[in-house]
Amino acid sequence: MSNLYERLGGENAVNAAVELFYRKVLADGRIARFFDGVDMDQQIAKQKSFLTMAFGGPNNYTGADMRNAHKRLVAKGLNDSHVDAVIENLNYTLRDLGVPEKEVKEVAAIANSVRDDVLNR
Amino acid sequence: MLKFEDRSVELRPGETVLEALERAGIDAPSSCRSGNCQTCLHRAVEGVPPPESQVGLTQGQKALGFFLPCVCLPASPLTITRPDDVGARRDAVIRAIEPLAPDVIRLRVDADDFAYRPGQFLELVADGDLRRHYSLASHPEDDPFLEMHIRLHENGRMSRRLGEFKPGDRLHVAGPSGTCFYEGVHEDQRLLLIGAGTGLAPLYGVLRDALKRGHLGPIRLYHGARSRDGLYLDEELKALSRTWAHVDYRPCLLDPNAPAGGDVAATALHAEQDVKDSAIFLCGGENLVKRLKRDFFMRGVSMKNIRSDAFTPSG
Ligand SMILES: Cc1cc2nc3c(=O)[nH]c(=O)nc-3n(C[C@H](O)[C@H](O)[C@H](O)COP(=O)(O)OP(=O)(O)OC[C@H]3O[C@@H](n4cnc5c(N)ncnc54)[C@H](O)[C@@H]3O)c2cc1C
Ligand code: HEM
Ligand code: FES
Repeated sequence: MSNLYERLGGENAVNAAVELFYRKVLADGRIARFFDGVDMDQQIAKQKSFLTMAFGGPNNYTGADMRNAHKRLVAKGLNDSHVDAVIENLNYTLRDLGVPEKEVKEVAAIANSVRDDVLNR
Repeated sequence: MLKFEDRSVELRPGETVLEALERAGIDAPSSCRSGNCQTCLHRAVEGVPPPESQVGLTQGQKALGFFLPCVCLPASPLTITRPDDVGARRDAVIRAIEPLAPDVIRLRVDADDFAYRPGQFLELVADGDLRRHYSLASHPEDDPFLEMHIRLHENGRMSRRLGEFKPGDRLHVAGPSGTCFYEGVHEDQRLLLIGAGTGLAPLYGVLRDALKRGHLGPIRLYHGARSRDGLYLDEELKALSRTWAHVDYRPCLLDPNAPAGGDVAATALHAEQDVKDSAIFLCGGENLVKRLKRDFFMRGVSMKNIRSDAFTPSG
């Protein structure tokens, strides 16, 4: 059985998902403020990193990288409810793209596995 | 063979450019180290970076040699610089400086060997240390000079200095920079150009470049101004739209009584409902650019179809 990233469609799947996901995040009043202020083109690139990681794709992030990347946001009040909201938007994005429920769950589990690092605890 | 600016950098077999820079003690930012986050972006000023190191970049960035060092295993010699490096300053002599509107001037300077794409911007340097960005409205194939449209701010340092300059005076220019130019657009694609004030300068450059390259799709240009004087290219643009059936010029005077705000952003957002497949160019003040970029993206326009320059005040 090929790995999750390959089953989802690899880089093409990330490209198909990234703008859909970013639109959902910007439209979600619970979390939009965390994505404001940063240039939108840069933000798209960061979301690609996020999706590649959550899809189980090749990446070199360490727990410390995740802590650093979100430190600024934790200072702005980032908590469990925001991680839940991000994972929820991720689920909706994958369902929009017709990804089977089994893979949707696997992606959510990967995202959830870095929760403590993202929240710097 | 790898060079960073004018310094040779040893590149070991199988090593990425990022690893080589780090080993040479050059301060190079990075994050994902797998070609996604674009934190490590650099630019090749000589040589051609391999295509896999340009995945995910815009057509404009690719055309200018931008690449991602963390996934770059060069197959041929490269000379690279930081992404914001504007290169050496060059001498420039003022050819003409004249009013376009009560608070807007047109500045034309002569500078040798200044290659650029219409719509890019340069760094204008006065008195050695006063530096500001200005967009290019001229076309390198048609105009022997660099043309800028500059709004004079009452207490602006460069604005005041420009008020004193006259033809023959010497300045410096560096650059060009920016990726708001006609590249990666399909010839049949609809072009939507929106700007306010001197945001017209780069759009005028882009418009002329599109026509020169034989763009066939419909082109619509919105120019916003606070008063009639501010529509400073009204005659030229009306003439252009008479000459070219596919060019539609929409001057927008600020109407404070209009329900949605009455500025060019509100007008364009109201009129442009079906924009999904348009190539959009946005230039002018930061608020205008940010608002339009976001709203068009939320309406379904892909970010790769939105090019923009925000005229952020320096400092
Ligand atoms: C990529 C880029 C491209 C640009 N292209 C152009 C161009 O083609 N034409 C052009 O006219 N300008 C352009 N600008 C803006 C330009 O670089 C300067 O910021 C502007 O000319 C003011 O410089 P100054 O020295 O006169 O004023 P400064 O001394 O820098 O500022 C003086 C005062 O004016 C205010 N101020 C400055 N800019 C603005 C503004 N835009 N709106 C409201 N208040 C302001 C500041 O708050 C400050 O209090 C561009 C900027 C960028 C970043
Ligand atoms: C659920 C688990 C999460 C994972 C796996 C994750 C992953 C990532 C990754 C890989 C990056 C790019 C880092 C870089 O290279 O700079 C990133 C950046 C970012 N993340 Fe997350 N993230 C998560 C949760 C969240 C949440 C809950 C929010 C806010 C609601 C958030 C907001 C951001 C923002 C705004 C950035 C850009 C930061 C910057 O550019 O400074 N993330 N994330
Ligand atoms: S470090 Fe992320 S793209 Fe190179």
